Amino acid sequence: MLLNFDRLGWWKLVLIGITLATTAFLLLPILFIAALSFGSSQWLIFPPPGWTLKWYQELLADPRWLQSAWTSFRIAIIVTVLSVLLGLVTSFGLTRGRFPFREALKALFLTPMILPVVVLAVALYAFFLQIGLNGTLTGFVLSHLVLALPFSILSISSALEGFDKSIEDAAVLCGASPLEARIRVTLPAISHGIFSAAIFSFLTSWDEVVVAIFMSSPTLQTLPVKIWATLRQDLTPVVAAASTLLILLTVLLMLIVAVIRKGLKS
Amino acid sequence: MVAQTETESAKHYAPVRARRPTDFDLTLPALGLLALFFVLPVAMLLTRSVTEPVPGLGNYAELMGSSTYLRVFANTFMVSGLVTFVSLLIGFPVAWALAIMPSRLASVVFAILLLSMWTNLLARTYAWMVLLQRTGVINKMLIGVGLVDKPLPLVNNLTGVTIGMTYIMLPFIILPLYGVIRKIDPAILQAAALCGANRWQSLVLVLLPLAMPGMAAGALMVFVMSLGYFVTPALLGGTANMMLAELIAQFVQSLVNWGMGGAAALVLLVVTLALYAVQLRFFGTDRLGGS
Repeated sequence: MLLNFDRLGWWKLVLIGITLATTAFLLLPILFIAALSFGSSQWLIFPPPGWTLKWYQELLADPRWLQSAWTSFRIAIIVTVLSVLLGLVTSFGLTRGRFPFREALKALFLTPMILPVVVLAVALYAFFLQIGLNGTLTGFVLSHLVLALPFSILSISSALEGFDKSIEDAAVLCGASPLEARIRVTLPAISHGIFSAAIFSFLTSWDEVVVAIFMSSPTLQTLPVKIWATLRQDLTPVVAAASTLLILLTVLLMLIVAVIRKGLKS
Repeated sequence: MVAQTETESAKHYAPVRARRPTDFDLTLPALGLLALFFVLPVAMLLTRSVTEPVPGLGNYAELMGSSTYLRVFANTFMVSGLVTFVSLLIGFPVAWALAIMPSRLASVVFAILLLSMWTNLLARTYAWMVLLQRTGVINKMLIGVGLVDKPLPLVNNLTGVTIGMTYIMLPFIILPLYGVIRKIDPAILQAAALCGANRWQSLVLVLLPLAMPGMAAGALMVFVMSLGYFVTPALLGGTANMMLAELIAQFVQSLVNWGMGGAAALVLLVVTLALYAVQLRFFGTDRLGGS
């Protein structure tokens, strides 16, 4: 009866207890940081002796924080657009094509996802130093694109596999050109896959830190690199303020995803 | 003669692969990107490990011959193993509970799992740096309840890395494990009970073996991910327990020793790919993509 919740007896209490404890373990640090970002203690004493907004003021007054956030955002947006477009084209080729080595090709496209990021970071760093792309926006975009593309291909391919191609063929029979049929019939039908591809690509780039540490230059750094560099020096509450804003963004993204999923379902 | 062979092979191929010439072409842009900015740079880095500073396997000999580096390897495996073990220990009951609890309650837990997964890695690591510091909340609580009288060193050591990495890896083990347990037919457990098995017997002889493929796949994934982790060990670990990814970064960034960096990267790469090959061989391809 171990898989029947109501007939577990006292084991139920144990399972619930462990689950609640784990949930608290996952949630509390996030709430803790959010609370500390409003605390007045420089040394992050908890509970804080008083409440203040000064860490946010400090954060917003420092142009380097804003600049790095803006850099991150620009890179993430460009990566998202390129990754979705490239993922779309590639997924059509991979799911519709019947050519030799298709599975091997699929596996190759997914490898950047499973490879240790630090290896890619070091390799790209060496390569970009040679061809002069280090510390440039192009360098950031290219390296994040390599990391984001697998997620895009996975999301779009799986949506495309679930789509009945005969509907697209019907549109062609009714007089649409093959391209027109793909754009006006297939694309709307796989929009949920495209949407997840966009979200994953954005998050991959926006949160990426290891490659970015190597890619960045004194004049061009992303937000995670700025946090990283600050943390290596001290545990200033300004990072708590920055983290809280990032957490807020995550919650916002999750809400958008939930709303759009609901919209797509109905 | 030649022409005839060609037509023959064309005939032979035509019905088998109804290939539209454009389909493969569609994958070319992505293929070009990966060839140029993924395969080529990695290959170049690995080549440098056998060409710099002098051609040969000297870098590998140094890597394998020095106790300092061997300690880094050992520590990497130890931390990854520990993180995997703890994640599995906590993750199994949680995945189990999630699979059978009322769906409304489960969706709350899922939302928190997702929130934690999607929150910026540095923000999460920062939280643990603050929580675990000498004057941090955890030490205060431990002293407050009288468990210890001096603050414990919880950060910049193995404890810190293990806690921080387990925090990050937990969702990666809970989610796939949940999927596996969810698919187990409750009637099998019912049958076990009818045949006279008590709860412990049902758990050990029926539920655990049935969940084993998911546990093994999840554990392997977490282990492999941990092997190559850089940020969290660098911020929460101490110099005494450096991990392989930090070593690679150090070779390249502070020592500018590309030969050694490439050699260490190859070791990490080979171990990672070997473990993934094991995973593919025994658990199929479906877990490759994560969830």
